[in-house]
Amino acid sequence: MSQFTQQVILGLLLGGIYVAVALGFSLVWGVLNIVNLAHGALIMVGSYITWTLFVNRVIRAPLLFTFLLTFGINLVIVSLLLLLFTADFRSVTTTYSGAGLHLGSVVIPYIRLGGLLVALVLAGILWLILNRTRIGAGILAVGADRDAAQLVGIDLRHLYALTFAIGAAFAGVAGGIISTFQSITPTAGDPYTLQSFAVVILGGLGRVSATIVGGLAFGLIEVLGQSAPGLGSGYANAIAFVVLVLVLIVRPRGLLGRLA
Amino acid sequence: MPPVVERLYSKEVVRRERFALIVGAAALLLTACGTSNNAGTSPSTGAPIVFGAAVSLTGAQSKEGGLTKQGYDMWLDWINQRGGIVVNNVKHPVQIKYEDDQSEANLSATLVQKLITDEKAQFILGPYGSAATATDAIVAEKDGIPMVEGNGAAQAIFNKGYKYTFGVLSPANKYLTGVLDMAATLSPKPATLAMLTANDNFSVEVAKAVEEYAPTKGIQVVFSKQYPAAAPDVSGLLSQAKAMNPDIVMNSGHLAEAIAINKAAKQLGVNAKIFAYSVGPSTPDFISALGPDANYVYDGSQWTPQVKYQPSFYLSVSDYVKAYQQKFGASAPPDYHVAESTAACLAFEKAIENAGSLDPGKVRDALAGLNVMTFFGQIKFDNRGINIYKPMVVEQIQNGVHYTVYPAAVANGKPLYPTPAWSTR
Amino acid sequence: MIAREQRLPRWVRRAVIAVAALGLLYVILGPLTSLDPAQQAGLPLLTDKLWFRIATTVAMFVVMAAGWNIIGGLTGYASFGNIAFFGLGAYAVGVLVSNQRWPFVAALIAAPIIAGLFGLLMGVALLRLRGHYFAVATLGVGVAVGEVVNNVPSLGASTGLFLPIVRSDLLFFYLMLGAALLAVIVTWVILRSRFGYGLLAIRENEEAAAVIGVNTTFYKVAAFCLAAALTGLAGGIFAQWNSFVNQENVFPISANVQMILMAVIGGTGTVLGPVAGAVVLELIIQTLAGGGTNAVYSQIGLGLLLMGCVIFIPRGVIDFFGGRSRLSLGYLRQTLRETSA
Repeated sequence: MSQFTQQVILGLLLGGIYVAVALGFSLVWGVLNIVNLAHGALIMVGSYITWTLFVNRVIRAPLLFTFLLTFGINLVIVSLLLLLFTADFRSVTTTYSGAGLHLGSVVIPYIRLGGLLVALVLAGILWLILNRTRIGAGILAVGADRDAAQLVGIDLRHLYALTFAIGAAFAGVAGGIISTFQSITPTAGDPYTLQSFAVVILGGLGRVSATIVGGLAFGLIEVLGQSAPGLGSGYANAIAFVVLVLVLIVRPRGLLGRLA
Repeated sequence: MPPVVERLYSKEVVRRERFALIVGAAALLLTACGTSNNAGTSPSTGAPIVFGAAVSLTGAQSKEGGLTKQGYDMWLDWINQRGGIVVNNVKHPVQIKYEDDQSEANLSATLVQKLITDEKAQFILGPYGSAATATDAIVAEKDGIPMVEGNGAAQAIFNKGYKYTFGVLSPANKYLTGVLDMAATLSPKPATLAMLTANDNFSVEVAKAVEEYAPTKGIQVVFSKQYPAAAPDVSGLLSQAKAMNPDIVMNSGHLAEAIAINKAAKQLGVNAKIFAYSVGPSTPDFISALGPDANYVYDGSQWTPQVKYQPSFYLSVSDYVKAYQQKFGASAPPDYHVAESTAACLAFEKAIENAGSLDPGKVRDALAGLNVMTFFGQIKFDNRGINIYKPMVVEQIQNGVHYTVYPAAVANGKPLYPTPAWSTR
Repeated sequence: MIAREQRLPRWVRRAVIAVAALGLLYVILGPLTSLDPAQQAGLPLLTDKLWFRIATTVAMFVVMAAGWNIIGGLTGYASFGNIAFFGLGAYAVGVLVSNQRWPFVAALIAAPIIAGLFGLLMGVALLRLRGHYFAVATLGVGVAVGEVVNNVPSLGASTGLFLPIVRSDLLFFYLMLGAALLAVIVTWVILRSRFGYGLLAIRENEEAAAVIGVNTTFYKVAAFCLAAALTGLAGGIFAQWNSFVNQENVFPISANVQMILMAVIGGTGTVLGPVAGAVVLELIIQTLAGGGTNAVYSQIGLGLLLMGCVIFIPRGVIDFFGGRSRLSLGYLRQTLRETSA
């Protein structure tokens, strides 16, 4: 039983990372209608910034990315990272990274718990931005009806750039979280673009709460899939994506999506 | 120590080397006789010999691809300083043409075709990784161009009867069995083993060999599971393994997962007596990424800077390390990816000399009959084309430095055993 | 999109047709001169092994892009999972040839059938989804099929399947070229049939199409099946050509993105758009590939080029050269204005 509890906890913690990863992706996709293939690369930019902060103790302003054409951007970013940082593997290892909450035989590593909390705080901030600020109202308006939004005086170019930048910034924070449990290389972000797709759609497009549900669910499925009865643990990815497809067949707009 | 390994390190090896030397010398003499019209005069300079290599310089495997290229360049510098490869008393300088396969196996095959057709490469040096090696081997086979590789250990490539592909490295099944041999000598002897395996052709072969070999050493495999290759997080599997309380935790995978597993082991408080990973800990990156957490980790290594081979040509082990540090301005010694890549070049050099010809068919035959001792160890191919004659060694990271800890004959350190609990480090 | 087509002066069209026909003739007949008898007879060598390899790869992507175009371009359902069909076709040939000892030709007939049947299943289950949800569901299937195949021992699991080497570059070039021509002809026929009008109607407004009597489910599934069968055929040829099939080779997500990029760059919903896109992009990729030790810069170049394409020629290469546009600053400025907001 405690083994199962441990698996569930690890799944939720991994899910927290997916939430962080997918928040920015969901925003850019839901509002701008841009499928950002460079999302993984942006995450790794965040990882490198974290790494630089830890190693050099230099605080840098977050980079603003206003590019739209994401596949090209992805190639360019990854190549530039390769030039800047070379292909060496790096990682953020802190003295407290081994500490954790012990509940009987179940361990909750603090650093991953921290990752989940950061993800939830991020989600809260995004929700506040979207629902309690003028800019957020603008973003939602553009997402709902672009032309109408322009009619009421919203500067579309400005708002697009801003939304993309917010998405990139969130991706950057996600990268910071990832750097604590994984090594960083210029190409390490690529798998996360794929996961972001799955997470955003699993929950339902364009809503913060849906992304949280989608992320936690996907993390849970992935970890529990490793001990699925009757199948080898090599099937974990297959199971996760099959569940995604099944959910969509039953609920064509994701777990929390509303039918338009 | 198992008799096989012991024998390879015993004096017999030295004797066999001498024999190899004599055979080699005789072969050279014969070659010289065959072209006696040239004998006695100093070698003249001939047309350059072109080698081609499609290595990953961008993409997911750019790190390992970069190390492969370093290994090739080490030999390139050395051979050209000496004027090139001597064929029938004519010195042929050497060129290596590189292409970047972007870590994609399909592209690698196209680039090998490009190297052969466009760049007129006469010989092919292997790419990084078993998947790319398999696709490249097929192109080399179709075109009848010999390929020697040092970075594709999956035996599946060599079980297909290809005639033109040779691997200088020990095959995948040898990667972690040395750790088991070592474990059997330790006290208290570890009794249980958990295995986490990446689902790719190389890693699965490594794991299968461990599962078959461990019981013969009295070690029980209590947990063995695969994860999808390049999985970013393996903490779930590791926590399952933890529940079995294994004495040995093994990973058969790659550098990224080795780092992730070591981090997760600390976060989850997995306290095994031995942590051993197939690929990763031998690179300087593993230590720089993990800092003190890298300590006590073992790996099976194709080669370490501490091995005590007496090469019949090229540099000695210590000269090789010095030359590497000088050329690349590195403080760390080269890891085995570099050494095995250089060894692939050495196999070509000797085979071309022995063949006394640049004809691809003759060089292939010379490769098949090759038997030389190098700084990397003995290079000799079985009838499938893979080098099963060179043993692997076991390394351990101690205080941020690699030490060779097994077999005892080549070791420069003793295994620090058992690995202390994470909480007491 | 068809209505916008403009008539060029007759002599220009004739010249273009003549040049294209000559080019086609060269592409089809050129390789014959590299046969051994031709070489011995001293005929000029028009091709080499590298040319074959690149040309075969280009033709392969023409099939994939054209296949994607049938479902993504004509019907308006952007599938991100067509790579599953390619992989299934490849594995069908792989298993039948290396495990069941079927002759290659028989296995090659089975490849599009198996892929098509899978397309049927997938289509029935997923074509009810719309837009992004359909895209991600198909992506999920694409990933899942590749992962499953990588775990099944009788399919070679992670080791993959090795097929006996067939040493004829000529055979695979013509096979792949044939598949590419087939894909183009199928698209051409569709666009001139009742079926094609039904698909276009679904793309423009599915509800309206249903109202005017288009059996939308049948039409969509049929289009998906066709796309699947064509892509599977390319996979089947690839398997024997490459002689080695594993997950990494035949289920690359990158190729999935690539075929969509090609259709988009060339112009979706047209007959020749995906062909032009595949030829142009794949030739650029192949030219930039390798790049010796400056590989990183060629990757950056490719990235910038793609970004430039989307900014400056958003309606595709075919529209850029064939339509109302001219290579002028005014056109670029106008395009920029249209795409920016």
